[in-house]
Amino acid sequence: MIQSQTHLNVADNSGARELMCIRIIGTSNRRYAHIGDVIIAVIKEAVPNSPLERSEVIRAVIVRTSKELKRDNGMIIRYDDNAAVVIDQEGNPKGTRIFGAIARELRQLNFTKIVSLAPEVL
Amino acid sequence: MLAATLRSRSLHLSSSLLSHPWKPVLSGSGHTFSSSAVESNSDRSILDLNEIEKVLTDVRADDVKVIPAKKHAEWADYMAKQKQKGAHRMTLPSVEGQEGGKWIVIDSGKVIVHALDEKARAYYNLESLWTSDASKEEPDQDLDKAFIKIRPKRNNSKRPANRDA
Repeated sequence: MIQSQTHLNVADNSGARELMCIRIIGTSNRRYAHIGDVIIAVIKEAVPNSPLERSEVIRAVIVRTSKELKRDNGMIIRYDDNAAVVIDQEGNPKGTRIFGAIARELRQLNFTKIVSLAPEVL
Repeated sequence: MLAATLRSRSLHLSSSLLSHPWKPVLSGSGHTFSSSAVESNSDRSILDLNEIEKVLTDVRADDVKVIPAKKHAEWADYMAKQKQKGAHRMTLPSVEGQEGGKWIVIDSGKVIVHALDEKARAYYNLESLWTSDASKEEPDQDLDKAFIKIRPKRNNSKRPANRDA
């Protein structure tokens, strides 16, 4: 359940460290974003000397949420943090490596690139 | 052209798709990657690795590598990889990234074909991620750094709470 003003961790090595969601891409007046949704976010904290800077506006895909993700088979996945991966307009990840476990749903949502970079797929 | 060949072949062998041993690295040679854009077809076809290899040599893909990814995830047994010269458009069932042309992923169930141009291939360096132990070392180092830098902030915020307890 990511909405605007939600702070998210960054799960890649793009150089951003913390994001704040400012808009959810999709229908208008959408309230919450979940795993696999694209958001517009502001970088609140960045790694020094990295290509991305603080207060830069970027796109990101949500890869982990504290709100549980339910599957049809009854499995429920809930992560400790809210995390996103920085992407560009074409959906290519900005970073080259992704950290932490990623849900398999991202593959169905056409983020195969992120899934193939991920060290672990749940 | 590529799409048409892939599609026709996928029709032939939809049944012979059990997993079988495979040599780890293939090498294809050629010069240009030529394919015409065909309208996309949304059905998910599952292709055989041999067939994909054949198609890739047909379209003269440079520097093809096949990486078995069983430990990577159970949903993909192999990752076929292909270098592409220049950004040519191609459209296929369950294709991702054909607008940019830097990194195109063809997801056909068991086999995932990654087509990257030279710069993107060097940038993402997928081989080192999937083949060696470097994949484990790099993120760990980065994670350690990240944790070291975050730690003081967290400790400060938690200290008063700990004292109270």
